[in-house]
Amino acid sequence: MSLENFAIWLSESPLSIALTDFEIAFPAIESLHVIALTLVVGSIALVDLHLLGLAWRRRDASDLMRSILPITWLAFAFALLTGLLLFAANPISYSANFYFLAKLSLLVLAGVNMLAFHLFSHRHLATPGALAPKLSGAASLTLWLTIVTFGRWIGFTL
Amino acid sequence: MITTALLHFSQWLGASRLSSAVAEHFWVVPALQTIHILSVAVVLLGVLLINLRVVGLVERGQGVEAVLDRFLRPVGIAILVLAISGLLLIAGEPSRAIFRTIFWIKLSLIVVAGLLTWSHRQSLTVGCVDGAAISSLRKGIAVLALLLWLAVVVAGRWIAYVDAWPGAPA
Repeated sequence: MSLENFAIWLSESPLSIALTDFEIAFPAIESLHVIALTLVVGSIALVDLHLLGLAWRRRDASDLMRSILPITWLAFAFALLTGLLLFAANPISYSANFYFLAKLSLLVLAGVNMLAFHLFSHRHLATPGALAPKLSGAASLTLWLTIVTFGRWIGFTL
Repeated sequence: MITTALLHFSQWLGASRLSSAVAEHFWVVPALQTIHILSVAVVLLGVLLINLRVVGLVERGQGVEAVLDRFLRPVGIAILVLAISGLLLIAGEPSRAIFRTIFWIKLSLIVVAGLLTWSHRQSLTVGCVDGAAISSLRKGIAVLALLLWLAVVVAGRWIAYVDAWPGAPA
């Protein structure tokens, strides 16, 4: 099934109809999406800036990640759930939108970058001046800033 | 009377060069909104960590003082950026936010949530690490402050969906 067919099928589903009929649903879910995504981006940016040596330098990187990443994951779960519901409210428009598709691709790239960090750069955290964690942090920061920008652009290009 | 005063303000703002600068290019408004939302990210993460640390749910290995020291200033700077980007957004569309009750509720919530969060600095003892010395009143204030901050975001999103006051410009 193509994305287009899936979007048409979803738009006729009871979920999609309920989301459009119940007027308060969209702004309510949108508000939760904003809360969740800002916490995802804020917490990731804090870790990225730390990896780049620009924030909270006296904290140990692994210790900072242990206390911040649970917040990131919880917020990400909320952002994903609310994001899916927002998509379900208007699947045909979103699936045809360039910025929406680009945002999804960048989210996948951010995931790949995170995986690469945990598999490779992570080992160099204790090495003073190591380049790998800095590169991971810079890539992550760039990706997430672009994801937020594209996300906002979706609202203007639907 | 308040509507009349705001009407004059919005007409003056709408006729200003600032307004035409924001409204001139398509990308200025989404760009300002992106800056606005990134600043929200700084504020929300900061106030989440500060208030949940006071409650004792996160960063227990760090003193409350250390968490306040780390985040109060970035949160303050981000609020300034929010005020500027918000003002520019209003300049681009002067009839939108200021004639809606929810916008003024949002501003009031920011003042209260901000003062409550800032009050931790005034009340907490220096070097308090384990959280045992934090009163339940103080923890209650932290929970309230965090909930009010979340309400600010909801109120902000709601501006786009509610009706303006009667007599407001279209």
